[in-house]
Amino acid sequence: MTAKRLGWAVAAMGVLLACIYLFLYAPIFYVIYTSFAADIVWPFPPAFSMAAYGDLFTSSLYGDALRNSLVLGLGSALLSTVLATGGAIGVLRHRSRWRGLALGLFLTPLFVADLLIGISTLAFNARVLDLPGNMYSAIAANAIPGTSFAFLIILAQLVRYDWAMDDAAMVFGAGPVRCFIEITLPTIWPCLLGAFLIGFILAFNNLEISFYNLGAIPTLPSVAWGSLRFGLGPELFALAAMVNFIVFAIFGVMYLLMRYKIVRFGYRETL
Amino acid sequence: MRNAGTCQQFVKAGTSVPDAVLKLQAIVKRFGTVTAVDRIDLTIERGEFFALLGPSGSGKTTMLRIIAGLERPDEGGVFIGDRDVTALPPYARHVGMVFQNFLLFPHKTAAENIVFPLRMQRLGRAERDERLAWAMSLMRLGGLEDRYPNELSGGQQQRVALARGLISRPALLLLDEPLANLDRELRSEMEVEIRRYQKELELPFIYVTHNQEEALTMSDRIAVMHNGAFEQIGAKTEIYTNPATAFVAGFVGHSNRFEGKLVEISGGLARMAWQGDAMLVPVPRDPRPGGAILFAIKFEDLEIARAPDGVDRTGRNRLAGTLRDVIFKGQTANYIVALGDGSEITISSAPRGLDLRMSEPVIVHWPVARGATFHV
Repeated sequence: MTAKRLGWAVAAMGVLLACIYLFLYAPIFYVIYTSFAADIVWPFPPAFSMAAYGDLFTSSLYGDALRNSLVLGLGSALLSTVLATGGAIGVLRHRSRWRGLALGLFLTPLFVADLLIGISTLAFNARVLDLPGNMYSAIAANAIPGTSFAFLIILAQLVRYDWAMDDAAMVFGAGPVRCFIEITLPTIWPCLLGAFLIGFILAFNNLEISFYNLGAIPTLPSVAWGSLRFGLGPELFALAAMVNFIVFAIFGVMYLLMRYKIVRFGYRETL
Repeated sequence: MRNAGTCQQFVKAGTSVPDAVLKLQAIVKRFGTVTAVDRIDLTIERGEFFALLGPSGSGKTTMLRIIAGLERPDEGGVFIGDRDVTALPPYARHVGMVFQNFLLFPHKTAAENIVFPLRMQRLGRAERDERLAWAMSLMRLGGLEDRYPNELSGGQQQRVALARGLISRPALLLLDEPLANLDRELRSEMEVEIRRYQKELELPFIYVTHNQEEALTMSDRIAVMHNGAFEQIGAKTEIYTNPATAFVAGFVGHSNRFEGKLVEISGGLARMAWQGDAMLVPVPRDPRPGGAILFAIKFEDLEIARAPDGVDRTGRNRLAGTLRDVIFKGQTANYIVALGDGSEITISSAPRGLDLRMSEPVIVHWPVARGATFHV
């Protein structure tokens, strides 16, 4: 193998990698680019304008939708994180021959289509509870796949946690609740926050589950979906760009927090 | 005795220094089909330094966890003072513990780690600060209050762990291989310190270790554990000089082992047939003439001389061999001798005045009553 041929191979791999990233991110960047364009139908050559954002902020519909989406996202993320934390700790701490089953049952909702979760919660609300669509059931229904995702994230981090630390706290007089608040939580909170943020993004962006449960109550995805009937408005591009920005910002904050946390406390890897 | 004053204060200030007696009654613990602890009875006296010595998997850590309440025994009872604590969770038992790897809370400073037990007891701030100052000075940790565990050296972490174990004035302190992760020099330093704290505080320590030197250095009494049961329990000198079983003889101290056959018993000694030779050895328990026996004798109980030296050695066993190697260790040297059958034995003695050369014929000899014999 000559150095020259190796150089070609590296270059080819580089091009392939660039193509994969292009495939992943081109649609997102196209939306962001277009949202700043003066003409959204054919935004070339570039001519920039903030008109789309003006339209977005003057419309009251989007304000309501944003508020609803935030409530939905936060509520569902909180519920998912609490359930998943309990589940992950239970699966890790209690040796049982049913452990594998318990773990599997926490993950299977991931493989159920959102559409089916939406329809079945709608049917349950209507037939059994005799309730119309409402925010509470939307939060609960979004927390179904959210819990599974959060469970995966928390479990992956928590396997590194040294439970002997809790043993130590208990010997020194801490009951189970005290022990969780004083010892476990301060160490594992970054992964709970990670799970919370992922849960938030999932519920915030969700269309199918929320749509079935909320009916006429608008969320950002349902408004975007509904406005397709009137054609692609420029404010839709602005909305998509904003949502992307929020999601990226959350990931950025998450990364920085985890990073900061690891620098400051860390797992006991120095020993 | 720089700490004598603070120590007095410790004893006086305690509302009640508990009677500090631990009793285990017929403790059994099984994990699946494995019996980790097999009907153990144990009484720990006040002020005693007790070592649980055994190889890994012998059940010693499980026993410690049962005492702490981190495991529930399947059978039997645990009593601390006159309280039956068998059904109590760890946080209601009031014992102190020093863990392997120290297990300091990584997000708390040294001082926060040390006062943790007091905070759990909801002790007033003034008293808390007073005891913290006491523990910091006892453990010579002054100035390290605000350091996080990962900013402390191994020895400092060890002392923080000890301070945390002692600060609540527990009924007894459990130590689970606390020196296993320290380097050799620090370990021998800490051995002396831990023993000094124990003697000053007059608090019973139960010290789990697989390291016989640690057990011998620090403790008053040792239980040698094997397969979930006590092989022998007694004063450390007793364990060392009079091993009750072949396992103890092999595990405590460094011994040469000879496997032979018990021929007969006469005059309070047993005659053992070994490699066509005969040795006079102590009589094993429940002697069965004709049975296979194991004779174990410590390195330092053997003596070595240049052969032939013409000295009368009646009342001694003698083995002829050639010197293979001398391992100089400073205070002592280990002489490795190859016997006629090709096996090697080791003799440990002061290196001075014995200018033996390699491959020189030597005689290994020892008084007939030395060593210990067991049926196998």
